[in-house]
Amino acid sequence: MDNEKRKGQLRTMFSKVVDPLGYKFSPDEELVDFLLEQEVNIEKEKGSPFCPCQGLTGEREHDMKLVCPCIPFHREHYDAMRRCWCGLYVHKDVKDPDSLPQISLKEFLEAKK
Amino acid sequence: MKKVVMYTLSTCPWCMRAKKFFREHDIPFEYTDYDKADDNTKKAIREDCLAHKSEMSFPFVKIDDDVVVGYNPDKYAKLLGL
Amino acid sequence: MKQEDNWIFALKTDDLGNGEKKPLLLENNKVLVLRIDGDFFAMSNKCPHMECPLSKGTLEQYVIKCPCHDWRFDVREGKFLDAEEIRVPIYETKVMEESVFVNLNMEGAGK
Repeated sequence: MDNEKRKGQLRTMFSKVVDPLGYKFSPDEELVDFLLEQEVNIEKEKGSPFCPCQGLTGEREHDMKLVCPCIPFHREHYDAMRRCWCGLYVHKDVKDPDSLPQISLKEFLEAKK
Repeated sequence: MKKVVMYTLSTCPWCMRAKKFFREHDIPFEYTDYDKADDNTKKAIREDCLAHKSEMSFPFVKIDDDVVVGYNPDKYAKLLGL
Repeated sequence: MKQEDNWIFALKTDDLGNGEKKPLLLENNKVLVLRIDGDFFAMSNKCPHMECPLSKGTLEQYVIKCPCHDWRFDVREGKFLDAEEIRVPIYETKVMEESVFVNLNMEGAGK
């Protein structure tokens, strides 16, 4: 299957998953296209469309929490950033995704205390 | 000059932006793409991330002894005194 | 159409032992029928994540784990355990004369 077709399929499937969670695809179309392209390549290589911005360890329990959309497993952290780590998804009310910084998990947990 | 070392992923656009930031500011840096590294290097990167109480979220940027996880140009600039 | 008219025969009660599950095609719908502690449950056989067949997953009590990415769902309400907003469609079942019927037009009590 060519990459463009698979990107379209992932987009359709994943939008149904993130919608009830209050997220949408980023309005930054160029970024979305780039990230989906990475995911399609990662899926071809590793069998699943893992997050292009987080590292796999080879331990199934760890890695399965990084299959896109990984929002359910990092909900509080991503809700605080109003985007997911790689920026493929943002909260539905976000119009300017470039204004959202990446907040590390450590910073998020420290701020929560 | 402070030493800049980065762990990155070849698939991550924020890692690319971080590299671009340092290049544009003429700051030399070293980087390793975690996903392209051999097993021993991967293990060492994992241990380093853990030692800094970080998940393996990329980019992971070390500026001397300070660590910035994520693409955060303001923090990079502050730590480098730009 | 009245809801009572939409009960579709799925299988005989003897076809499934406790803790077993079976994928069926009911009126073109991929349905998974499960039997747990004597009760029958029916749900869509497609994982809402990437449409993997849940029938190939593992069942532990009321929790089914998708074989592809380990997403876990409660078969009684269809809820995804890590984010309850995400659900697998579930269907009501009834047993009559040793036959199990599924109501495809009516989602089960979990909603």
